[in-house]
Amino acid sequence: MVCQPDRAETNQSQQLRRITCVGTGRGSSPAPPGAGAGTTSRDAGLEDLLAQAAHGDQAAFEVLCHQVAPAVFGVVRAVVRDRFQAEEVCQEVLLDVWRCASRFQPKRGSAMSWVATIAHRRAVDRVRAEQRAAERQRRAMLHQVDYDDVTEHVEARLDAERVRRCLGRLTPVQRESVTLAYFGGYTFREVALLLGVPEGTVKTRMRDGLIRLRDCLGADQ
Amino acid sequence: MRRPRLKSHALVGAYVLDAVSDSSRIVFERHLSGCAACAREVIELREVTAELAMGAATEPSRALIERVRESVRQVTQLPPIADSGVRCVDASRSTRTRRRLAGPMLPRPMLPRPMLPRPMLRRRMLPRLAGGLGAILIAAVAVVSAVAQHAVDEVSAAQERIHQIAQVLNAPDAIMLTGRAATGGTVTVVMSDEDHSLVFTTAGLPRLSASRCYQLWLMGPAGDRSAGMLPSPRDGMTSPVIASGIRAGDHVGLTIEPDGGTSHPTGAPILVLPL
Repeated sequence: MVCQPDRAETNQSQQLRRITCVGTGRGSSPAPPGAGAGTTSRDAGLEDLLAQAAHGDQAAFEVLCHQVAPAVFGVVRAVVRDRFQAEEVCQEVLLDVWRCASRFQPKRGSAMSWVATIAHRRAVDRVRAEQRAAERQRRAMLHQVDYDDVTEHVEARLDAERVRRCLGRLTPVQRESVTLAYFGGYTFREVALLLGVPEGTVKTRMRDGLIRLRDCLGADQ
Repeated sequence: MRRPRLKSHALVGAYVLDAVSDSSRIVFERHLSGCAACAREVIELREVTAELAMGAATEPSRALIERVRESVRQVTQLPPIADSGVRCVDASRSTRTRRRLAGPMLPRPMLPRPMLPRPMLRRRMLPRLAGGLGAILIAAVAVVSAVAQHAVDEVSAAQERIHQIAQVLNAPDAIMLTGRAATGGTVTVVMSDEDHSLVFTTAGLPRLSASRCYQLWLMGPAGDRSAGMLPSPRDGMTSPVIASGIRAGDHVGLTIEPDGGTSHPTGAPILVLPL
């Protein structure tokens, strides 16, 4: 079968989008043994609040909201940068939490991690959608971005001493890979471009960096 | 899963940091569904990203919290999965259970600006979508009528195709999926697990230049296999294409390729539907 000549050109670069509760993509994973290890007593209360919210308890959701909103807004603000848009995304995230509360599964991690995952995915989706609109300019700009600016900006936002200290224990490439991806919203390909490092190296450093952070943060508790 | 394991596993960090493209994410989640060790690592590392988020905590305005509080009343909550089968999470799971995916959409009215376009993905049992099926049948008949004018050989080939289509549509386990391509336009898939086949048709896809084609793929652990080029649209619709040989974990994908097609997808998929 052959195509007929047509006029309009399509934009191939558009990304796929997923439905409904954005960023909670943990459903695809089987529940591994010992998976609940991530749940800490620190936010045990969040799990209960989330369970109550899942049953339509608006008061519980409100308390939950107050507890998670700063982290949600913090990560969204870092990624999205524009305050107005960050507020909009933050609102979407919190409403997602309410809407999808019944889907939270404690054996697949803590409530905070579930919420943060939704928040980060939403934020990243937003910036990437915006960026697609100006893909070319962005590609051109990517070569001009000074990654020091990005990471310094991001690290300046890190209020928690513990996290800052553990980040400080990573190698520079590990730290930059993790922070550019998480707070900058960059893909590993973009990070590779920014750092002038092969993509494979960036992927590995992201994983190593997170593992080292996990060990450092875990040891602190 | 042996071949991609090492390669995919290296993506754990990037995946947890959302530093992957959507298509890579789908590929990785496919890997994840068969790798308990990876799933465990994802969970552990997500706790780390939660710490990063908390480290960056910034108090939002009171007005924002107030807006959320007010909006909540208007947002319908999703019921637990066990009750309804409505999937909240990802569209990548390859389980074979039939589910209805008709969950409430995001709460548009209370958001200050229009939401980003969200894709549409629904699964329903066939009897509920007679309209969509009708369109497929009409399009299928149109294939036969159009081709019949040319040659008897082609007619019998087309009849064979019609028969295959009818087989899928009438399969007792047939389910229907619809999706929206990233470039606009919708696709409708009717799939039968038992027949390992699906019928694929589209409406409203943007027209392509002479040198390019829409190509259909089965993408899965068994690799990406071409399921042929979409025929040129008539009245904005493409007549049904049959894809056989569906294997466990497959997704159906659509890419834009040079005319004549390619052996492997070269462009980013404009649509991926988990089967």
